[in-house]
Amino acid sequence: MATKTQAVNGAAIKEAIEGRDGRMLSSFYADDALVRVIDRNNPPSKPREIRGRAAISTFWDDICSRAMTHKVDTTIADGNSLAFTQACAYPDGTKVFAAAMLELKDGQIARQTVVQAWDE
Amino acid sequence: MRPIETRYALSGDVRIAYQVVGQGSFDLVFVPGFISNLDLHWEDEGFSRLLKRLSAFSRLILFDKRGTGLSDRVDSHHLPSLETRMDDVRAVMDAAGSGRAALLGASEGASMAMLFAATYPERTRALVLYGGYAHFHKWVMPPERLDAFIEMAETAWGTGATLQHFAPGRVDDPRFATWWGRFERLSASPTAAAALARMNAGIDVRGVLAAIRAPTLLIHRRNDARVDPDASRFLARKIANARLVEVPGRDHPIWTGDVERVADLIEVFLTGQRVVAETERALAALLATRIHDTARLGDRMWNERFQRFQETWRLLVGHHGGRAAGMHGELMISRFDSPARAIRCAAALREATQGIGVASAQGIHVGEIELRGPPTGLTVRVATQLAAHARRGDILASRLVADLATGSGLHFTDAGRITLDELSEPLALVLATSEQHLEPACHSRIKATEPAALTARESEVVNLIADGKSNAAIAAELRLSEHTVKRHVANILLKLDLPSRAAAAAFSVRHPGPDGP
Repeated sequence: MATKTQAVNGAAIKEAIEGRDGRMLSSFYADDALVRVIDRNNPPSKPREIRGRAAISTFWDDICSRAMTHKVDTTIADGNSLAFTQACAYPDGTKVFAAAMLELKDGQIARQTVVQAWDE
Repeated sequence: MRPIETRYALSGDVRIAYQVVGQGSFDLVFVPGFISNLDLHWEDEGFSRLLKRLSAFSRLILFDKRGTGLSDRVDSHHLPSLETRMDDVRAVMDAAGSGRAALLGASEGASMAMLFAATYPERTRALVLYGGYAHFHKWVMPPERLDAFIEMAETAWGTGATLQHFAPGRVDDPRFATWWGRFERLSASPTAAAALARMNAGIDVRGVLAAIRAPTLLIHRRNDARVDPDASRFLARKIANARLVEVPGRDHPIWTGDVERVADLIEVFLTGQRVVAETERALAALLATRIHDTARLGDRMWNERFQRFQETWRLLVGHHGGRAAGMHGELMISRFDSPARAIRCAAALREATQGIGVASAQGIHVGEIELRGPPTGLTVRVATQLAAHARRGDILASRLVADLATGSGLHFTDAGRITLDELSEPLALVLATSEQHLEPACHSRIKATEPAALTARESEVVNLIADGKSNAAIAAELRLSEHTVKRHVANILLKLDLPSRAAAAAFSVRHPGPDGP
């Protein structure tokens, strides 16, 4: 429950992502939060959408089950908006880079848009 | 599409080739069947479509099993056990940093995927088994048929001869048949293929089914040509958390037949989300035009006429407001916004074939197609199959085409029904007819003259006359003297009782006999 009361901020997100802590990450989201992912396979007019905390928990569990490194580099906070970039690497050297923009509401993430690119 | 980078994972002392495509939130490992080749998959339309669909919602991990495709070759006489090959999946997942993945096992790959799920439950997010089986001899082929299959694989490997055993619906697709031959050659050597087939025959994973805990989706084509659908029904009973979906079709490889349907099922199962309706699809009338040699023309003459018809085809399709959408050997696909235009174009093409000295058989169907790229999918395959069923000179269309063309003034006659593997219901057919139908009159008028009376050489000459060639040109082509050609022409006019070269040309066009045009 300690994580529940923790306000979402750049430092908390950095710690959870870099520590691959899916449970902590999920606790940052509002029950009806929406995560949108835009990338080469999911264009802006048809982004992949993950709705609700249960689906978002699965989303983070899946990502955190990967044996990879994450580095959250730049975090910018402005009122109820938060943005950060994330550089990730798989053990075979493949890299992923993502930029995320978050809207906060009552101290929780209500909406998040991720734009990502990767080696293929 | 740019090439996907191939990497290698070390499994024991063997290197396993793998590719990673997409960056979805969860990993999906595709465990291939009998043989595979990572590079070649991308060259087949159906395969690359499947991979594109799957990698849109997952991080798709592909690999070639040891001894196949781009992975290390192994001693064909001492092939590894299913357990060892299953462990290759783990090695690839480790290399790609995948802690836990959904596994998609196709055909023989399904057995490996089941063994993996039972051995590493903590690393199995979910299981999708397509056309799978737990026991080879029970559901794929009995021992006596296996020997014949292996002998055929050994003697005709690389020619694409195994295609009929896997995808009989694609045997008549020359492009796919050629691809399949390459697929055989580049996926395994003949000795390895025979050894693999023998080893697969030993597969029996019935004992591990009770240990599978992962949510499982089973997909099987109702008339699968290779693996009895009872195989999946058995799995559905024995795997605790399994659901079976049977889909229409008989072609066995997962990348043939209705790939979209299979991809939809997998996506809904793994993401829990309804597939968003494709917005890039539109209703279109597709015309499949197949042309035939009417009289065993030599290669050169056939090629000339084929070229001429191709040009005419492009021209007429354009005139009727359509788009030339693709050519597969002697089959041409064109796309129209309205069924009536497709039918009028088909009638014009039929007339043109008579002028050129070839015969056409055409099929028309209406359905949704992708707006981008050449049309693929069910609508194309149905139109193509109608063209294959049509008799020479016929325009065979689905009943839907006639219904949509109501009010166009076109006429149709009922042509029964046809059962197609991919459709759950028989398809009602019509023949497009027109008042200016040309069939009978010409034939009866020239019945008196028997083209068979012409010698083979004279028939060649009359065909070249019909092509508008001069005596000198004919002499050069047939390597005869001009004098000899003149004598042939005189004999032809005499035998057919015709007044001039022009009349002989007209006769040749009107009357396609066994040795004529």
